[in-house]
Parts: sequence; structure tokens; C-alpha cells
Amino acid sequence: MSRQLDNDNPTIFAPTAPATSARRKTGKALLWDDRADEFLDYDEEDREGMGEADVGRGEREEIDAEEVFDLLRSITDPEHPVSLEQLRVVNPDDIFVSGNRVLVYLTPTIPHCSMSTLIGLSLRVRLMRALPPRFRVDIRIKEGTHQSEHAVNKQLNDKERVQAALENQHLLQVVEGCLATAGKRGREPAA
Amino acid sequence: MDVPRIVKTQITIGELDPPADLISGVNDGKVQLLEVVKALGEYLTSVEDGVRLKGLTFLSNLLKSTTPSKFNRPATVTLTRFFTSGVDDFDSLPPSLSALLVLSKLPTFDDDAAVEVYRAICENVNMKAYTQVVRNQVYQLFDSFLASHRNALKSMGADFLNSYTKMVDGEKDPRNLMLLFAMDRVILLEFDISQLVEDFFDITFCYFPISFRPPPNDPYGITADDLKASLRLCMSATPLFAKMALPLFLEKFATAVGPAMKDLMLTMAACFPTYGAAAVSERGTELWEAIKTEILYQSDAGIEAASLSALESLMRAMYPTPRDSPTGLAQDIIKECLKLLEDPEKSQSLAATKALVAMFKSTASVGPFVVSQTLPHLFRQFNHPTNPSHRAPILWSLTSLLIAASKVYAPPGSPRQYSHERPFEQYREALMDTLREGLRTNGLKEPAARGCVALSEIPGLWSRTEVEEVVRGMGDIVLNERNADVRKAVLKSLTTLAQNFPASIESTTLPLLFHALPDSSPPMADASGRDKYRSVLSSVAELCFLPALFEILVIRTLNKLDVIASLSPEGEQRECEVAYSFDILNTLHGVIVKKLEAKHADVVKHFDTVIPRLTGLAVEASKGRVGGGVPVWRDKRLLGLLGKVVDRLVWELPAERQAKYLISLHGAFDRGEMGGIVAGSVQWTAGSPLRTGAPPSEQNLIVLYSSAIQALKPDTALPFAPADLLAKLINWTIHLGTAAFQQHYALELITAFVNKRYTFPGMEEALTSMMERVWVGDVQDLEKEEGVRRRALAVFLHITRGLALVRHSLAYTSVERVVDVLKLASYDPVIVGEAARGLGVIAKGKGEDKSSHLTAKLLWAQKMWNFALPKLMEGDADAKGRERLVYLSAFASLLPLVPASLLASDLSNILPLMIRTLSLPSAAERAHAITSLESLLETSNASLAVDSLVHRYAETIVEGLLKSVGEVPEMGSSAVVRGNALRCLAAVPDAIRHEALSSLKPVVLRDLGRALDDPVRSVRWEAVECRARWYKYK
Repeated sequence: MSRQLDNDNPTIFAPTAPATSARRKTGKALLWDDRADEFLDYDEEDREGMGEADVGRGEREEIDAEEVFDLLRSITDPEHPVSLEQLRVVNPDDIFVSGNRVLVYLTPTIPHCSMSTLIGLSLRVRLMRALPPRFRVDIRIKEGTHQSEHAVNKQLNDKERVQAALENQHLLQVVEGCLATAGKRGREPAA
Repeated sequence: MDVPRIVKTQITIGELDPPADLISGVNDGKVQLLEVVKALGEYLTSVEDGVRLKGLTFLSNLLKSTTPSKFNRPATVTLTRFFTSGVDDFDSLPPSLSALLVLSKLPTFDDDAAVEVYRAICENVNMKAYTQVVRNQVYQLFDSFLASHRNALKSMGADFLNSYTKMVDGEKDPRNLMLLFAMDRVILLEFDISQLVEDFFDITFCYFPISFRPPPNDPYGITADDLKASLRLCMSATPLFAKMALPLFLEKFATAVGPAMKDLMLTMAACFPTYGAAAVSERGTELWEAIKTEILYQSDAGIEAASLSALESLMRAMYPTPRDSPTGLAQDIIKECLKLLEDPEKSQSLAATKALVAMFKSTASVGPFVVSQTLPHLFRQFNHPTNPSHRAPILWSLTSLLIAASKVYAPPGSPRQYSHERPFEQYREALMDTLREGLRTNGLKEPAARGCVALSEIPGLWSRTEVEEVVRGMGDIVLNERNADVRKAVLKSLTTLAQNFPASIESTTLPLLFHALPDSSPPMADASGRDKYRSVLSSVAELCFLPALFEILVIRTLNKLDVIASLSPEGEQRECEVAYSFDILNTLHGVIVKKLEAKHADVVKHFDTVIPRLTGLAVEASKGRVGGGVPVWRDKRLLGLLGKVVDRLVWELPAERQAKYLISLHGAFDRGEMGGIVAGSVQWTAGSPLRTGAPPSEQNLIVLYSSAIQALKPDTALPFAPADLLAKLINWTIHLGTAAFQQHYALELITAFVNKRYTFPGMEEALTSMMERVWVGDVQDLEKEEGVRRRALAVFLHITRGLALVRHSLAYTSVERVVDVLKLASYDPVIVGEAARGLGVIAKGKGEDKSSHLTAKLLWAQKMWNFALPKLMEGDADAKGRERLVYLSAFASLLPLVPASLLASDLSNILPLMIRTLSLPSAAERAHAITSLESLLETSNASLAVDSLVHRYAETIVEGLLKSVGEVPEMGSSAVVRGNALRCLAAVPDAIRHEALSSLKPVVLRDLGRALDDPVRSVRWEAVECRARWYKYK
């Protein structure tokens, strides 16, 4: 690359998201784990001795912050071949979901990072593609982590500017490049 | 035999491989070699090059096929002379060489001849003029000399060595190099090359580093690593190279990157010990500087490991024995590393630790020295850290050293013994203090536990008291730690430790853990209590996998289950107790499965404890009782799991013990003699649980009977006539055991029984008549109640499944009957629909469970498919309107039977059917079709015919799939079918070219947008994947 990198030696962190999900269990899952399910299949019609255990069936699993994080974690940084999770650019604690709104705070690795807009754009494109259209997504720079926080925020949340940016074929290609790894979702790629 | 005529014919027609009868003639002694040579005379001496070559080749080929004993001494001498004279001729060389190679291996070929031939070749052959094959022949000949006439070559002295280096100079072909490197090594090791070191250095080191990359599809299969390894053996063969090699290595550091750097490191690691302390020490500091750079800054793990082994080898070369005190360089390196450790959070301190570990591993001289220099430093840092967060990396550094020590000292027969070196002796107290503190402090528990395990493994270091102290500390973490990752890591350490000290675990940790299991389940709202007992259960499962500890698990879990079963909880609390019992039993089951997979022999001996006691719980609970709540052990999930335990353990029994158990089991289920299958005594007056009028709770005990009989071996003796039992079971299944749970186990039992016992005397006739009776008497009888007809159909299909697996003729007539009945779709809709779906029973085959004990003959599925498919297609073609639906449904139900590759052969007929099944109302049937379609798409590139068909129908396929992605009114849906459809749709972009589907892409993306909002998370996951692929589809 001919251009001088903004941050040529970023700190890379080990994945921090716990291996086991922190989701609170509800309904049936509170008491039974999946292993018991295989004995239930032929029990559709008679439920004698099953008690209330079945209330959990068919309940809706809402989209939560953990799921949104999962969508974003493996996007590649535009400057380095490592994921945004490893750089702690996105953190599970900085994602908020409420009703039809999603709010994502991103933390640039350094305060003068010129890539922040590009990263934000990648996040936006990923969420545009991977979240149901009913969601309204806000992407912001985490407070106090970037010099031109305000300008970047404005750019990222202006629909028309985002649209215009995506019509730029070169830019779109770079974004696609970052998104190429998004499908890993925190796992190692299958060998 | 007319030798001259044969020879003449062969040469004239140009067939230069000697005929078989000539060869056998020579080998039998009927024909003398001399005769052949005489007959060849005119050709061998011909002035015409072509003719002479033919003669030579013929003779040479003959020699190759002749048994060594047929060459007498004069013949060998003459032939050798003759062929030697041919080496100066360009064309004659190849046949001469191959003949000489044969001759050189004969016992009659002497040292003088070897020298003579060798000289002749060196003088007359210009290697560069020949192709690889011929050069290879020359080297093979040399190799043969080196093998059999080494002393003769040695006595040639410098003469041989000089000419050898000239002959092999400039060789580049990897096949030849493999041979050369092998010869070089022999010469370097055995010959006196002191006068010619430079020449040998040149012909060896000129290849270093090897940058060979094998061509694609290389038939010779020589890899760069093969070459590197053989070259490395040459380079490290003699200390004489040291003077020239070390500067060369240092020079290469400047330029080597990637694989070359790794090669350089490994080569140095191989060379240093041979080159010796004196030579290596001279350049030691420079070498360390070079190696250090790679250790500290290298990001490639492979190169880093190679660098560390180079360092280890450097130490080994410089301080080989305990008498070589580690002064000088070793001291300097340790100082440098300790300096880096001052800042433990930097990645360089990690590298420094690795370097210290490598040094520790090197020799008995350096190892203890590293410990004595490093440990005090680490203790000081640990006890007075500049920053509290430094303690974790410091403890990891310490632990790394301890692990290295256990790897060096622990293996039996290791060259280094702890009792000889005793490096930790003066730090015993300090180590214990540090580890103890680590086990107590958050963030330090994992490294501390690993360190404890390492120290416990070093023979003769720790006494039992010390081990028990750390076991207690680790047990405490396993029990109380909140962070699951830490708990798991420490548990893993404890499990490792348990292998050496089972008694300590048994007396310290297990009582602690089992004591933490409550005697009754925490209430529904107490989620943390439940997490706690689950964590305890998973810990004991991990530990009790060891044979020495398994018995304790058995006793403790059974006792706990007894205690819970004696409670009579009601309502919500009952559900909690059931779940608790399930978790306990599942723990036991999980350990049993894992142990059986690991082929532990101690599992079976617990059969007589486990099964009767668990059976007792189920039997006791099934009894009718007055008042009180519903007993815990009436729960079907518990019974189902119990069935699995029974299945596992019965299957492990030898046939005679199975037979014995079966007698008691049959007594219980035939005559109600429950005392025979439970532990202790039982008050049972009710009679057989399978009798008419038995309450459902007793009928559910069928799970025990079913699981045990499914696990019988085919040759286990039966205490009853098989046909009788089958008749009873069929009757019970159709008329008595009507609940879904009972049906499931009864039908599996029937399948298994038929599958394994159909060959018994009288069984075939019995089966034929029983199936006839079931089909005509129950299934087809419109008078009968619908439930009876359904169950009879299920019985019929399950018998058919058992027989289809063994390709029994009765299975095919039965399937024909079922297909036949599909015609009656509008006349008898309920049973016909059921029959169509019911073909899925046969498609289940051996079942999804890997541990299924059913017998399957080869190609049974293909045979069934080829039998049923034409009939279904025919029926489909004849039927009209809605009546065709049942054929589709039958087709879809049968699809899981065969892999996609089989579908491909008749795809032009099958694909339209598959596409039509995509609009069937039943979700399960669509799910089958979609699974098959997906595997078809994944393999569609394999054949042109499939590819073009798939493209022709591409749009219809995609549109059909989209219907299953979301919810369509009047069509059933399930998470399974939606997930399958999304996976299948995701396979489309790889299988179908974009132009065939470009118009559909926006539609697909829009519909997938809706799937992103699916209520089930795993389906959304697939939807995201699928949509990402379609965005990229261009």
C-alpha cells in the first residue's frame, strides 16, 4: 500500500465475548436444556405429566444486542487483516437494541483515524443487508474517541450521503472487501 | 532352444525385451548366457550405431531379468569389461549403465571391478551432456558401489573424492538430488574429506536454502520438505563444515524470509551440535543476535518455533554436559530475557519467556541455571509488581517454565532426571506460596492451576500433602468460581492431575462436589441454584471419566436419584425435580457413552448396579397409588433417557449375559414378575404391564423392554418363540399401547426384532401371514375405527422397514401394496395420506442415531428406491388433479432414502417431481425435498447433463424455494423447513450462473429481507448468510 497507514501498529485483543451466551433464558429453557427435547417429539398429542414445561415452545426469539454484535464482529478492518472485534472497534457493550431501533457505537483505534467513516459505512451496509427493514439503525462514534466525532456521525447517519457513497463503485468495492469475512461471525472459518 | 534364431528375430523386429521363454531358459540353466552373447555377437560389434544399440539394449534387458546365481565369475568379469568399454560411446551409455548396475550388485563383482568401472565412467562420461534419466543411472551405479564396495572407494583416497565432486557438480534435478544427498551424507560421514572440505562444502551448501516448488501434479511426489530434510542431513554431517558454514548462515540472515528463514533456523538447529562447542562459541553472540530478532519480532508461529529450536540447539552445542558451566553467552541471554520480562505486558516478554523455556529444555547444564536465575526474579516481580495487572503475565511466565520442566523430567526414560538436577529444591516454599496465592486470586487461577499440574507431574518433587493442598485449592475453584471459562480451564487442569493422583481427587474434590448437590431441586425461580448444580454435574462428569473414579459417580448419582424419587413434590416443584433428575441421569449417561467410546472396560461391570436400580425407580413410580402427586419417575423424558442407558449397557453385555437378563425381563413383561429386574424387593401384584387394562403409567414401561430388545445381539438365545412375541407385540401396539410415547417404542421394537430375527425358523411364514392379517384385516377394513387402522398401518410399515434393510422380498411386496393403495386417495383419504407419508418410515433406514443396532445390507436403499420410484411415477402419471398430491407426498417422504448422486442419473424425470413437491402443504415433506435439492445443487457442477437441467429449471426452483422461506397461507411451515430452504437458496449462487436468474435477484433479496425477521434465531442466521451470498451474486 502506498499510503501511510493511519495506525500502523494497532493493539490486537483476544476475543472477549464469552464463549457461552449471556442471554437470559426464559420459559422452558429456564429448566430444560435442548437435550431433553429429543424425548418430546412424539409427545405432541398427549402431554400427561409434562406440566407447564411446554410454555416455552414457539416463543419468539427477539433480535438483541448480542445478535447484532454477532453480525458485526467479523468484519475486517480496512487497514489490517484483523476483525473489528479483535481491534475492539465494536464491543458488545456498546450496542443497544430497543424495539425497532438499533444504536451502535464504534470506537476508532486512534482519535485521528480517517478510516472511521469507512468502518461506519461498512457497519451500516452490513446491517442494511442483515437486519429486517423495520429497524432504524444509528451508528455513532463513541463519545470522546475521535477528533471529528460530530462530522463523522453526521455523515454516517445521513441517508442521502450514505446512498451517494454506495454509488461510488470503488468505495463499494472496499466495503465489500471488509464485509467478505463478516459471515464468519466470530468462528474460525471452516477448514 | 534355438538361441541364435530367437535373438535374430527379436533384433530384426526391434522387440528389445527378451521373450519369456529365453529368460526362463537362462534362469533354469538350459541356456548359457555365453550362448546368448555369442548369438548377439555380430550386433554387439556392429559398426552401425543403431544395430549395436539394439544388441546392447537386448543384452542389458536380459541381464536385468536373470537371477544373480546364473552369473559365474568369468561371465561377470567378461560382461563387466564389455559394458565398461561401452561407456565412452554416447549412445551405448544408457544400456551399458543399466547392465553395469545389474552386474555391480552381484556377489561375483569384486572391489577391483568397482574401482575400474568407476574410473572409466569418471574419465569418459561428460555428465552435462546427458539427460536426467541417464545421470540418474550413473548416480545409481555410484550408490551401488558405495553400498557394496565402500572400502575399495575409500582406498582410492583423494582420487575418488576429487572425481566424485566433479561428477556431481551442477546437478539440479530434484529426483537426482535426493539420491545425491543420500550419497553425500555417507561420504561425509565415512570418508576422510579433510583435504577437500572446500569442494564438499561447495557441492553441498550451493543448494542452500532450497527454494524448490514442485510442479502441479508432480508424479514423483518429491516435496521441498523432502529435499530440505536430506540436505540438512548432509550439512550437519561433519564438523569440518563449521568454519565455512557459520559465516554463511549469518550472511543468509540478511536475506532469508518466510520459508527460507524457517529452513535456515531448522538447519542451524540440526548443525550446531555436530559443529561442536568450540566452533559455535566463536560466533555464538552473533548467532544469538540473529536468532533473537526472529524470536522477538516474528509473527509466523512456525518460524518462531524453528527459531526457538535453533536457540535450544545453540545452547546444546555450547554447553553439552553438566560439566560445561553455563558462563558467557548463556548468562548474557538470560540477562537480556530478564530485562524484557521487566515489562510483562509487552508481547516481547512473552517471547523472552519462550526463549528461557527453550534454554531450559536444552541441557542439564543450562536448564537448572535458567531456573536459578529466573525464578528469584519472577518471585520478586510477582510479590512486588509495579502494576497489579502485571501479576497474571508474570505467573504465566513462571508456569511456562514449570510446564517445560514437567515435559523434560516427567516422561519415563527421559535422559534428564529431576533427581539429578533438582533445580526447584531451594524454591519449594516460594513456589508453593506463589501458586497458593494464584489459586486464590482472580485472574491468576488458570496459570496457577496449570503450574500446579506441571509441578505435580515432576517425579520426586511433591509429596502427597503438597498435591492435596493444591487439589483442595483447585476443587474450590471448580465449585465456586463464577467465570465459566476459568472454571473450565481449572477443571481441565484438575482432570489432568487426576490421572496421576486419583486418590487425592477421590478423598478431597469429589466429596466436596457431591456434597454441593442438593437433595432436592432448587425452586423454579432459583436459576442460579440450577446453574450451580449443572456446573457441579459437568465437573464430576469430567473427573469421573477416569476408571478409578467412575464407581463413585455411579454410587453417588444413584443415591441422589433415590433421594429425589422419595419426595412427593407437586405442581411446579415436581417439574423442577424431574428436570433435576434428568440432569443427574443425563450426566451418568454422558459419562457412560464417553467411556464406551473410549473403550473403557470397567463400564459393563456396573450393569448389575445401574440397571436394576434405575429400573426399580421407574417400576415403583408406575404403580398405581392413592393420593399424593404424580411420581417424578413417571415423566416420559426420564423414561426415554433411561431407555438410552439400558440400550447402551445391554449392548455391551456378552450374548450369554444378555440371554440371562432377557429371561428376567421377559418374566416381568410377560407374567408381571417385576422382582427379577429391579434391585431389592418390590410389591407388584398387578401382572404384566402389557396386559389389557393396564394403566398408561405401567404401559409406558414398554420403553425398558423395547430398549433392551433393540440392543440384543442377533445370536442371543431367546426364552420364547420369536413369532409368538411378535404376534403379541403387534396386537398390543394396534389395540393397547396407543399413546404416542408407547407407539414410538413399540414400533422401534418391532422393527429391530424383525430386522434381526427374520431368519429364525418359522419366522418367514409367520411374518407373511401376520402382515397379510394386519393389512387386510386392519388397515384396509373401512369398518374399523380410524385409530386402529392408523396404528396397523404404522406396524405394517415398521415391519417393512426392518425387512427392507436386509433386502427381504417381503419388503418389496409390502411397498407395492402401499403404493397400490395410493390410488384410492379420494375414496379413503385419511389412510391413503397416512400411507404416502408413511413411506418415510422406510426412508428412516437405520435411523439417525449412530448407535442404532439395526442390520443393513449393502445397497438396500438403492434397491428399494429403484423398486418404488417407477411405481410412484407411473401412479403419478395416471392420477388426475388432487389425487396426484399423494404420489408427490410419497415421493417426498421417500427422498431421504438416497443420496443426491443417485438422483442425478434419472434427473430429467425426478427434478420436475422435486419442484412440484416444493408446493406440498406439509412442511416436513417439503423439508425432505429441499434437503435433497440442496445436495443436488452442491454436486450439480459434476456433470453436464445435471448442470443443464438445473439451469433450465432454475427460476422455478428458486420460486419454489421462496415459498418455503416465509409463511405462505395454507402451507404449513416450521423452523426446519425455513432453515433448509434458506440453506438451499444459499447454495444457488454457486450452482447456477447469474444470467439464468438475474431477473429474480431483486425478488429474492426482497423476500429474504422478510426472512431476516424470522422468529427463530437460527433461521435468521441462515437468512443473513443466504442474503449476503445473493448480494454477491453477479
